Amino acid sequence: MKRPALLDDPKRELWLAWYATIGFYSLYTVVFFIITRTQPPGKPWYSPNQVVGWFAGRHEDLLIGFALIFILGGLSATSIALITYSIRRMTVSRAFAYSYLILYAVSAVPGFLFICVAMTVGAFRPDRNPEILRWIYDLGFLSFSGTMGVFLIGSLIWMLAILLDKNRVFPVWFGYLNLCNGLTEVVVAPSWIFHAGVFAWNGVIAWWINVAVFGLYTGAFILLLRNMILREDFGTGPMPDLPPEEGRGHMLAEFMAP
Amino acid sequence: MTTTERDVSRASGEGLSEHVPGGRDIWFFVLFESLVFTSYFCVYLFNRTQHEQAFLLGQSHLLLWLGVLETIVLLSSSWAVARCVQHARAGRFERARREAFLTAGFGLVFLILKIVEWVRLIHMGDTFTSSQFFQYYFFLTAIHCVHLLVGFVVLGVLVYQLSGEKRRSQVTVETCATYWHSVDFFWVLIFALLYVVR
Amino acid sequence: MVENGFNKRLFGVWLILVAISLAYLGIDRAATHRGIPTASTVVTVGAICFAVVKVRIIMREFMEVRTAPRVLRLLTDFWVLLMAAAMLGVYLAGKAVA
Repeated sequence: MKRPALLDDPKRELWLAWYATIGFYSLYTVVFFIITRTQPPGKPWYSPNQVVGWFAGRHEDLLIGFALIFILGGLSATSIALITYSIRRMTVSRAFAYSYLILYAVSAVPGFLFICVAMTVGAFRPDRNPEILRWIYDLGFLSFSGTMGVFLIGSLIWMLAILLDKNRVFPVWFGYLNLCNGLTEVVVAPSWIFHAGVFAWNGVIAWWINVAVFGLYTGAFILLLRNMILREDFGTGPMPDLPPEEGRGHMLAEFMAP
Repeated sequence: MTTTERDVSRASGEGLSEHVPGGRDIWFFVLFESLVFTSYFCVYLFNRTQHEQAFLLGQSHLLLWLGVLETIVLLSSSWAVARCVQHARAGRFERARREAFLTAGFGLVFLILKIVEWVRLIHMGDTFTSSQFFQYYFFLTAIHCVHLLVGFVVLGVLVYQLSGEKRRSQVTVETCATYWHSVDFFWVLIFALLYVVR
Repeated sequence: MVENGFNKRLFGVWLILVAISLAYLGIDRAATHRGIPTASTVVTVGAICFAVVKVRIIMREFMEVRTAPRVLRLLTDFWVLLMAAAMLGVYLAGKAVA
């Protein structure tokens, strides 16, 4: 079934939002992991002089990378918006959608923007007092990793919505994956206590395993949002199944369909 | 869709092999969560080998018999919920409900034993931050307890399913039971790793 | 009566699981000298294997995998082996590196 031409397609805004979501997560990955190298995180046990070295080794990268985030970071709104849209399509009360929207929009500030601001401030004056630089470094990483608990409630709201939904907007297994994701966020909480070890903000458990689960979760919902848009009939009843689709990735999409 | 006829024939031992107990989605969760827990276990085991003496010292503060008792309590809770599923399948909803309450009861006993154990250890000076071994001990037992607490909510759903006048789906009953069994077998693994592994 | 048949089976399964759990007390004694636990690869491997066997029994009998589609039977067996291999592998590798 060929999709209608772009200008006539009633789903064009949804597709725009979805591609923007892909754009955002790609930008995020490139900026954090490649340009600024703030992920994987710096070590919490660094002395002030080591922190100076950490910033020195990333001076331009931090400034350029996070400048990109400040300009384009607004794209993060599209993934939240699409998910909120998906919850509104469900039979559950709109309160779920609004709670999710508010929670994630608000949590983007400490959980995402803080580290960008902190690291940019740190890189701005390389000759700053090392103790203050380390303070900024701590603020950046703690706010990024440590506030993950805020996302926990959001995950639970989405999970509850999916499990109660009668329109089969999302498959039930993804509802349960929200629980897995939410629980791994609880696991990050000890990073406020430890300066080293597996529960520190860069630890094997608090960061590596946590990010692996989060990465799978994010990949899953990006694919499922795509499925949702393909299936969308703009009605209020149960969503139809995935139409036979030509193009890449359709086998995986069908495998994941409810 | 009535699966009752199939279910009755299963109950009579014909062993129909088309039905995934509880549905595929809960099994996805159970298997995925097993991998997550296994990754935690691997981290624990590796670090254990690197700091053998320190871990052994911490471990000596644990009471093995208490761990065994907790294991038996959870195994009994699994037994109860398995019976519950069978009673529900055969239409004996009153007995099924009783088994569900029994399951929750055993779960509660486990929780109380756990809290008693934690309080005892904390009074002895062993806390989440006092040594590497106890970092892992409190982490694994706490994350397991979170799963247990979610399990109580799931049991609530189970009892709700069994209480309705138009009895709802047997599949949901199985789904809840499957979740509860996962709480049990995660503990089986955690117990072996924390209390016995040297 | 069928109901009793199933009940007996579940009871038997429970007994076996409890027995294995109690066996841990014996294993433990093998690696505890005068109240102080000592390192022992044999005990560790034994403990992990016992645990994994219990998990399989729970899956097969309590979680009704025994009468489930073949895919689930194979998948759960594979999972149990995977968990055992991962834990034992990491432990043995760790001992080698220590």
